Amino acid sequence: MSEKIIEVQNITKQFGTFEAVKNVSFTVYKGDVFGFLGPNGAGKSTTLRCILSLIKPNNGKVFIFGKTLAESRREVLSKIGCIIEKPDFYKYLSAEKNLEIFSRISGTYSDKNSIYKMLDFVGLNGREKDKVAGYSHGMKQRLGIAQALLHNPDLIILDEPTTGLDPQGIIDIRNLILQLKSEHNKTILLSSHQLSEIEIIANRMVIINKGKSIIEGNVDQLLNSEDLIVNLEIDNVELSAQIIAQSFKNVQVLSVNSNQLQLAINKSEVPELTKKLVDSQVRIFAIESKRKLEDYFIKIVNN
Amino acid sequence: MNFLFRLLIIFIIPLSVFSQVAEVTIENLNARMDRIRDYSADALIKSDIPLIKILPVRATIYFKQKNKFRIKSKGIAILPKQGFLDLSELLSGKENYTALFSGFDVIGNYRSEIITILPAGDTTDLILAKLWIDPTGYLVRKSQITTRTNGTITIDYTYNNQNKFGLPDSMIFTVDVKKFKIPKGVATDINKISSEEEKKPTSKTGKIFIQLTNYQINKGLSDEVFQK
Amino acid sequence: MLLKSTYNEFIKIAAKPRSYLGLAAITILVGVILFALKVDGLSFISFVTASFEQTLSFEGNILNGNLVAFIVLQMLIIHIPLLVALVTGDLVSGEAAMGTIRMLASKPISRTQLLLSKFIAGGTYTLLIIIWLGIMSVLFGKLLFGSGDLMVLNSDGLVILPQSDINWRYLCGFAVAFLALLTVSSLSICLSCFTENSIGPIVTTMAIIILFTIIGTLDVRIFDKIRPFLFTTHMASWRSFFEEPVPMKDIYRSIFILIGHNILLLAISLNKFNNKDITS
Repeated sequence: MSEKIIEVQNITKQFGTFEAVKNVSFTVYKGDVFGFLGPNGAGKSTTLRCILSLIKPNNGKVFIFGKTLAESRREVLSKIGCIIEKPDFYKYLSAEKNLEIFSRISGTYSDKNSIYKMLDFVGLNGREKDKVAGYSHGMKQRLGIAQALLHNPDLIILDEPTTGLDPQGIIDIRNLILQLKSEHNKTILLSSHQLSEIEIIANRMVIINKGKSIIEGNVDQLLNSEDLIVNLEIDNVELSAQIIAQSFKNVQVLSVNSNQLQLAINKSEVPELTKKLVDSQVRIFAIESKRKLEDYFIKIVNN
Repeated sequence: MNFLFRLLIIFIIPLSVFSQVAEVTIENLNARMDRIRDYSADALIKSDIPLIKILPVRATIYFKQKNKFRIKSKGIAILPKQGFLDLSELLSGKENYTALFSGFDVIGNYRSEIITILPAGDTTDLILAKLWIDPTGYLVRKSQITTRTNGTITIDYTYNNQNKFGLPDSMIFTVDVKKFKIPKGVATDINKISSEEEKKPTSKTGKIFIQLTNYQINKGLSDEVFQK
Repeated sequence: MLLKSTYNEFIKIAAKPRSYLGLAAITILVGVILFALKVDGLSFISFVTASFEQTLSFEGNILNGNLVAFIVLQMLIIHIPLLVALVTGDLVSGEAAMGTIRMLASKPISRTQLLLSKFIAGGTYTLLIIIWLGIMSVLFGKLLFGSGDLMVLNSDGLVILPQSDINWRYLCGFAVAFLALLTVSSLSICLSCFTENSIGPIVTTMAIIILFTIIGTLDVRIFDKIRPFLFTTHMASWRSFFEEPVPMKDIYRSIFILIGHNILLLAISLNKFNNKDITS
């Protein structure tokens, strides 16, 4: 097992009577692009703020590079680049001046060349002298990534970096993140409410909902699970349910409609089940299968 | 009739005699003053006036006959408004006043004649002036001026070096300060609640001390000196 | 890191248009007062000296640069807090409103240093305002009206101070005035730690100053005990340097109370800012 970069242990955060985060735990390892997935309002930003000590959790501990921020704030934060919620800048200053400010406070400012290089890297060359007030959302997002990367951090925390971007902007940011991982070997913690995004970018993930962490693991394993949710559109629902109950002990009937059955079933049992139903004179009009995790996530989101 | 005539003699003759004595004294005083065409002197002005705090100030006093007077100081100097020229102006013409001998008094160690000056007419601000004149050298030892607007100003003189010109070495002005007040609301010193009330002086009089040295007499002063 | 952060704060203050509002306001206000005094200054003075001038005459250049500077200071010093609070009240809450506080607080700098740098920058801006007020009033006053002895009307009467004895009084007066305005700066930064909008701390600072000033000037016995401890009571302490003799004991007490206020406000601000959840 590689080095633990972030270890979140049972953090809880209450705002008054509202419990925004409840016993959330997960671990990010070195080299991970770690997806932090959850619907809007699930507690993602609050958790990220707790990680960065922007807000103080009521309970639990966060270790970053094996240390807490309370004991080694400067050392730890100097290795982190982040955008929390959305990148905000001094609108009355130019992009270059903004980066100069954040670079100086990170203790890494030496000259303007590094700033120009970074602006070039995120595709903002030629706009360095423009005031941020005139920047589009996408440009601000790029500038946000530039400020996060400026001091060459080992860990990058990005909170919904593609939100509000146009399709090309989304692709650019995704490519940038993949480039950071592959070419610069950065560890990235990425929050999102879109499973598709996590599926494309992340290698590991945790799902959070209503302040609780639901599931954590390898993205490939979680998304390519053999456990499926299968919807059968059939003419004889009662007979089918009987056959399943008698012959397929591992298949679970999730819901029954007039002409539909929803089943939780292992991928390997699907051919035998369909054969048995056909042999029993059940007419199958359609079979629709979903990965269990995706369905599960959609249910969470829809809720 | 006889009685009335006697009564008239009793009152008018002494008045006439007193008036003659006073006029002789004033004439002598004027004659000595006429010897001074101009003068300048260095002055050190110290003040002890309620409601005013000021450190001693150095100034130069200039005078030129007949009524040119000027004080020049680098900083701010406080002087009585009356007392420098009023008497010499009044006494410069006999028609301006009536002088009456009012007796003797001892000022310092000097027996002095008291001369009361009444201005002719009632249009002047000056109501009454009194001079204590040392008849031996015709030196004014003390003067008192009463005006309509400013009450009474008393001046005490001491002489030393310039006796022959009748110019004093020091003068002490005693002025009436009853009317002094700090205007309401101007002194915005919020530390002090009392500043909102009109502050009145604790004493009724204030004193200004002027020491005069380095007289330059009849050296010829240009009129430009007196232009402000 | 504190110096670097302070330098950053200077950049931000220098880039904000509102920072120049105070300097521009002082320039215009002092300009107007100087013009008015140049045109009709003698009648203003005679209003003050009227009762004295029936009996006494004031010789010498009374309406000089020193008096003009004093009049300007007396007129403006009560308005300067607004100009200071306009910038300092925004230092923390403005960042919260913009969202940049989130960015700053996730950088490798302690919150204490971050806030201290804002206090230093706010204090420096306040110093700049005072220096500009000094330049405008004393320097321009002397250029336009010449120099001379200073006639000051205090609550206990007129004080005439010789020209040679004035410059140190202005220096010390400005120093104490700076301390008073620094308290305003500290108050507004402290209030700024409690909110996430720019206007709130500025308005609240002015409201507190107005309230304390009213309490300080109302001659009501119930306020007697608290009056000496209100910082507004000591905001005009700079004026004490123009009394004769200089009431050093009163001035030391004012300095002590103003420094006390600054330390207290800094402590409250640090405590709040260090324990604050940054949710903006």
